[in-house]
Formats: sequence, structure tokens, C-alpha cells
Amino acid sequence: MRDVLMLAAALVSSAGGMAWLALAMKGHWQQVCGGAGPSRAAVLALRTLGALALTASLWLCLAVDHPSMAVLVWVMSLAAAALAVAFTLTWRPRWLRWWALPWSAAAAG
Amino acid sequence: MFSSFRLSMTWVHTWFGLVLGYVLMACFFFGSLSVFDREIDRWAIPETRYEPQPMPSFDKLLLPIFKAIEPRQESYDEAQKEVHGPLPPREKMVAGEFGAYTTHRDPVLSMFSSFDVPNKPKNPNVDHVHVFGGVTIDPRDGTAISDDKLKIGSRFFYPLHYSLHLHWLDLGYWIVGFAALIMLVALVTGVVMHRKIFREFFTFRPKKQTQRSVLDLHNLTGVVALPFHFFFAFTGLVIFAGIYLPVTGPMFKAQAEAHEKIEEERTGLPHDPAGVAAPLASVDAMVVEARRRWAERDMAGEVGFLGVTHYGDANGYVSVYRAGTDRVTLTGQGIHFRASTGEVILEDPQPSTVAGIDDWLTGLHLQHFRHWLLRWFYVLGGLAGCVCIATGFIFFVEKRKRQHARSGSAGVRVVDALAVAAVTGMLVATVTMLVANRLLPPELPARGDWEERIFWLAWLLALLHAGWRSAPMARAQRSPAWRAQCLALAVLCVAAPLLNWITTGDHLFKTLSKGYWPVAGLDLVLLLSAGIAVLVARRLRHGEAAEGVEQENPEASHA
Repeated sequence: MRDVLMLAAALVSSAGGMAWLALAMKGHWQQVCGGAGPSRAAVLALRTLGALALTASLWLCLAVDHPSMAVLVWVMSLAAAALAVAFTLTWRPRWLRWWALPWSAAAAG
Repeated sequence: MFSSFRLSMTWVHTWFGLVLGYVLMACFFFGSLSVFDREIDRWAIPETRYEPQPMPSFDKLLLPIFKAIEPRQESYDEAQKEVHGPLPPREKMVAGEFGAYTTHRDPVLSMFSSFDVPNKPKNPNVDHVHVFGGVTIDPRDGTAISDDKLKIGSRFFYPLHYSLHLHWLDLGYWIVGFAALIMLVALVTGVVMHRKIFREFFTFRPKKQTQRSVLDLHNLTGVVALPFHFFFAFTGLVIFAGIYLPVTGPMFKAQAEAHEKIEEERTGLPHDPAGVAAPLASVDAMVVEARRRWAERDMAGEVGFLGVTHYGDANGYVSVYRAGTDRVTLTGQGIHFRASTGEVILEDPQPSTVAGIDDWLTGLHLQHFRHWLLRWFYVLGGLAGCVCIATGFIFFVEKRKRQHARSGSAGVRVVDALAVAAVTGMLVATVTMLVANRLLPPELPARGDWEERIFWLAWLLALLHAGWRSAPMARAQRSPAWRAQCLALAVLCVAAPLLNWITTGDHLFKTLSKGYWPVAGLDLVLLLSAGIAVLVARRLRHGEAAEGVEQENPEASHA
């Protein structure tokens, strides 16, 4: 059970990381939040968070499986997460606004 | 020849990708199915629908069965062609080697034996020719599973993805190997061609015109799964490297022989039989000892492979390998015993770095580990590869169809018909085979051969249908074969689980409530595929209707 939860957390972490990396791009930010795009500070913060989330995902994978297998799980989780984020941006971009929240609120306010 | 590097890469990507794409489509799709080959076997052979079993007792159950295995007729005939003089009669041949392999997903056990051939081989580079025999049993009581029942997953879809079932001159292996090489080339050239690999990393715009949206999908599925595509094409080549570059045989015969001699000295495992008869000690006791030693190394586990070499000879030895359930590597930690006494000759040391990497690359591709998430990720990666190839075909056609229609060229019409056969036709053939599996009489002799014939026939019919219905392509319109085959697929995908219910009584409520995933999973995937096929068919109908409007009123499309 612990392993299942850890892997689920790894997946969520990969997906969140990819969502942040996507939001750091002007076009995708506009799809999600509208407006003029993220500020330079927001881009930096989103990229950092994205990278941290992907690293956390790797760490979670390593905690569950032998490293020789964990790297495969992690790399594939990145692919799945990227596809999930891409299709969310296509059909339900507003769902990703939660990931943009502090910065989009700042931009609106 | 080309004005820029990028243009020359585009040329390579387009034309090599187009020609080998048809082969790669089959490799990726049937490779994806192979991730669940054992589960497809359970669906196809209902009498084997029970829980996976550990390796049974060798002394009590396996040895008598091994001794009764006869050489397979095809293998015997094949060997006869390769040696001088007539072979000994088939039923008199003596088995020199036994092996049994199982994984955590196998309720049945595959056993094989290899028979010594005294005749001199015709090929001077070959030392010995062997004849093989095998049987599949229920490990709970040793009953044999009839060879007439085809393991559709592990004996048909799985070999299809690397050999295309084309055995003449090993042609299938060479075609697939070349296709894998081209896959690597297509990945590199694709990255070179792609102008906005990072900027469009997450981009898919289905509402844009078809040519743009299929290119988005092509780039998306190619780029996000790039490591998967690269590693599977590459490791596929590594696994069959011995066929493509036979360094241990014909290429460097003297070195290979010297290496065998050094190995024999290093390991103490005799390469040749002594020619002196000797009994076989209790193998079960050896298994107990092997498990004790694994547990001592903090790697307790089940037996994955059990083998006897030089059976009945004083040089005989027994090898016990641990199943690689929790590792990427298939099996490992081999422990070898003297067959006549049961004493340990050798405990495999830690593999060298190079051997370890090789084992990892091979295991990564063959994936017999217990990790359901990673297995599904592999299916996702494989299907992403299929989408990437299929959208490549469609992009090729979309880009050229108007120009070809104007000039009267049949080029895209042929490419499109072949693409229909390679994409929807392949799916139709696959599910037709499952339907046939449930409809053919249970005791039909050579039932598996009929299933295979029906598969190829269905695929051929799909190709003919695609060619026959391709006329609208000449007017730069979409071929209606795509939609017709999607609908056929939807019907088949509903028929297969229904027939499974009628013929076996294992309907989804039962398999789901019992948690019997091999059958429940396949039924669910079939129903899901039916739903997707209907959605795609509806979308294609809208597309065709829009094209009709455009044809009648050319300005409408620009409005």
C-alpha cells in the first residue's frame, strides 16, 4: 500500500511539474489564465517549481523500487505527464489555473 | 543535393520513415500487446485461467515429463537439412539438455529439451546441430496443454513484433532490425527537422486544419516519448545483435572457441559431455540450497529458470536461476550444481559492468518484472509510437493530396490505402483473430493454425478494401475506408467480450468481482477500443461531410 501511494505521489508530482513548466511558456499561460502572460519573476518561479517537482518525482520513484527500475518508471512518468498536460491544455486548459494561482492572482490584483 | 542540412534530413525522415513505417507500425503495436502476452494467452486458452504457479518439484513432476518429450517434427526436419547423412530416428533421439522457464505471470510452465545430433554439420562454422522439443504443462498436476491451442499472446503477437513470422532466410529478423535502425535515424532526423521542439512541447491543436493538427500529434507523441522510442529501438537491436553481428560464431570462430575454453576453466562448468554415464541427484535439494543462498544474500526469491546441461553424463550440471521479479534483469544469481552429486560448482559472481548493462538493456525490453505501473507505461509508450507513425502517414498524404489530385498521380492514393491497412486493418485483423479464437470448435485439429490463417486473411481483406475504396483520394478527398474499418473494428471489439462470455461464462461482472485481471483487463480494453473507434468514425464522418461541402462550393472553405 505504501508503494502504491508513493508511486501515485510520484505521478502527481510529475504531472504538476510538467504543468508548471508549461505555464512558464507565454502561449500556454494565456490559454489558462488569459491576459498578457506571466511576469519574468513568475516564469522563473514556475520553472523552478517545475524542476523541483520533477526531481521530487524521481526521489519518490527511487524510494519504491531498485534504482535500475526506478529510473525507467520515472522517465515513463514524465512522458505520461507531458501527454496529460498537453491534452489538458487542448481540451480543458482552465483546469490548470490552480497551478498558476499565486501569480495569476497577483497579475489580476 | 540539398540546399541545407535540414532539408536533407527531411528527405531521409520522409522517405525512409514512409517505407519502414509500415513495418514499425506492426513492431510497435504487437510489441505493446506483448507487454500483456501472458494475459492474452489466458483469454485465448480458457482452461488456463487460474493463478500463476511457482516452479513445481523437479524430481517428482518435471523429470518424467522431460524424459517423455519428443523432438518436434519441424525442428527435426530443419536439422536434417543442415547435416550430412540421415539423422537417427526421431523417437530414438536422446535429450542432452532440459530447461523450464516461468515468471510471476505464468500459470502454465514452458518446458523444452534439446537433443544431441551425432551427424556432422554441413556448415563448417557450426560445431553442433540441435533438435528441439517442448511442452507446456499445468504445473499443479503435470497435464500437458495441447499444442493445437495457440498461445496468441506469447506465441503469435510477441514473435510477430520481432520476426513478422517471416522465417525464410531469417528475413523477418533482418527487416525488423533494419526498421529499428531506421527508427533511430528517424528520431535523430526528426529532432533536426523540428524547429520548435521546446516551444511546441505541449502543443496539440485539433481545431486547426488536418495537416497542422496531425503534425502536432506526430511531434507530441514522438517528442514526449522520445526516450522510450530510442531505448526500445536500440535495445531491440541489442537483443538480436548476435544475429546481425555473429561475433561469437562465424565471424571470429577461433576467438570464440578460445573464449569458451577460458570460460570453462574459469567457471568449472564443462562445455562438453564426458561420454560416461552418471545418475542425477535430487534437483529439489539443489533448489532448496539455491534458495537458502539467495536468502543469505538478502535476495530471497522464486526460481525463474531451471536447467540441466549434459543430462545423464558425468559432466552434467544443474543451473538454478532466480526470477528477476523485483529487478529489470530477467533472471540472475545463478547457482550451478554437479548433477551427479548435488555439490555446488559455482555461484555466479556479480556481473561485470558491461554484462550488467547488457542484462539491464535486455531486461528493460523483455520486461518480465513485477511492476504493473511500468508495464502500462510501456503500453502507453508503444501506443504513442503507433500514433506517431500513423500521423506521419496521414501528414505525408495531407501534404501532397491536392497536388497529386491535380497532376493525376496515384502516389498518395497508394500510400493512404497502405496506411489504412497498416493502422485500422491491423487492428481489425487482431480483433478478428480473438473473435475466431472464440468461434472455432474447441477440439478442431491444428486450431491455432486456423486462427493464424484467419488473422492474415482478415488483414489481406482490409488491404483490398482500402485499395478498393480509395477512389475519392483522386479528388483529394479522404478515403471512406478509414471510417468503414473503424466501424468494423467497433463491432468486433464488442463481439469479442460477448463471445468470451457466451463460450466460457466469464463475463465482466464475474471476472471483475473475482479480481481476475488477465481476462477482465482484456475485455475492458476491447470495450474501450470499441468506444474510441465509434468516436473516431463519427469525427471522420463530419470530416467527409465538410469535404463534400467544400467540393460543391470551393469558396465555403475559405469563408
